[in-house]
Amino acid sequence: MSFDLAFAASTVPPILSVIGTTIGVALLSCAGASVLGFSFEILRRAGAAPGYALRFVIDFIRSTPVLAWLYFLYFVLPHYGVILPALMVGVLGLSIYFSGYLAEVFKAGIDAIPKGQSEAARALGLNRIDTVFFILAPQMLRNVAAPVGNYFVSILKATPYLAVIAVPEMLGSAFDIASDTYRYAESLTVVGVVFLLLALTIAQAVKLIERKLLQPTSR
Amino acid sequence: MTIVEIFLGIFEGFRVTATVTAFALLFAVPFALIFGVAQYLTKGAVRLIVTSIIEFWRSSAVIILLFVFYYALPVVGIQLPAITVSAIVLGLNTGGYGSQAVRAGLQSLDKGQLEAGMALGLSRRRVLYLIELPQALVRMAPTFINQFIQLVKGTALVSLVTLTDMTFRAKEIAELEYNPVGIYTSLLLAYFVVCYPITVFGRWVELRIGTGRELTSEL
Repeated sequence: MSFDLAFAASTVPPILSVIGTTIGVALLSCAGASVLGFSFEILRRAGAAPGYALRFVIDFIRSTPVLAWLYFLYFVLPHYGVILPALMVGVLGLSIYFSGYLAEVFKAGIDAIPKGQSEAARALGLNRIDTVFFILAPQMLRNVAAPVGNYFVSILKATPYLAVIAVPEMLGSAFDIASDTYRYAESLTVVGVVFLLLALTIAQAVKLIERKLLQPTSR
Repeated sequence: MTIVEIFLGIFEGFRVTATVTAFALLFAVPFALIFGVAQYLTKGAVRLIVTSIIEFWRSSAVIILLFVFYYALPVVGIQLPAITVSAIVLGLNTGGYGSQAVRAGLQSLDKGQLEAGMALGLSRRRVLYLIELPQALVRMAPTFINQFIQLVKGTALVSLVTLTDMTFRAKEIAELEYNPVGIYTSLLLAYFVVCYPITVFGRWVELRIGTGRELTSEL
């Protein structure tokens, strides 16, 4: 058996037909991981006790593989009567896993803002909420843009893990073709190339946005 | 089975997890050093080739690479055991990330270091060995430890190509008895027990060196 180029080409349309699922899962997971990670980081700053607890939670998440999280959620949630579609379980798993990393990114982004910024804002008479919204948040966003962009690419590259919990994304559909035809090499190679192109494109886009829009102003 | 028996049962897979990690390092460390230095030193067409090779290993989704190599290599007549395929794929993927740390570490050195070395009459190669690399590697130590953790967690994937690592053991036990909560909690705990000490060690190194940098890696 050799590598059949014509057959490989025939697997492109069915694999590309589910690219929307892959991108949708990635976008939802990005949003989920950002919200969860940011909440972790804000709560971690709330006081000593929640701080230590959340630091442990974040360390726990960072010390465990994403595959184990997907199995955990997929098999444990139904045991407690929580029946979610596999796709939502996958989004939840990726969100939890990457929230641990994004929390650290937000931590670094907030820590990097000089203390004088909030002191100056308060001295000017801005209240706490205005200080956060108009002074601190814009600076934090600029600080975290680059690493968050990198993690978004990582999330995209983690979406094929969802194949193990039967989400019909690109790797899953490649496996469907493979098991129907007994030709694994072609469809898997195609899905590999598609993912590589997608990841490279998005990584370049992130770099471009970083360069064009988020140039730090001179301090 | 009690929860302790389940945990110990999962830990039977630790030997495979550790073996794959060790073999993967045999590919990761040389790849990171050689390609990181090559990307730092070369220019033009050679640099483009070096960068392309790094980007291939770094930007591909590792789960897909694993399947492609596991299923596609036999088609072109190369039969490798699952453990070798796993070590190569996980190793070179980790090495791809490592190479960026090496390159960034070298680039972050003060230009005066190179100039001073050359002024002393050292050859370019000796400047690299004696002056640049030692400083860059110390600076990059926290990143390497983080990537090592990513590698350990990444080995969970080898369960998908039939190796009996910790994740595979969890699935085996799940087939024997219905206890999803116990089994998958134990699985998360098993990885936590292995990875958390490395996380703590990494934090200690980061404090010692004082130039911790956020890792932009995956899984």
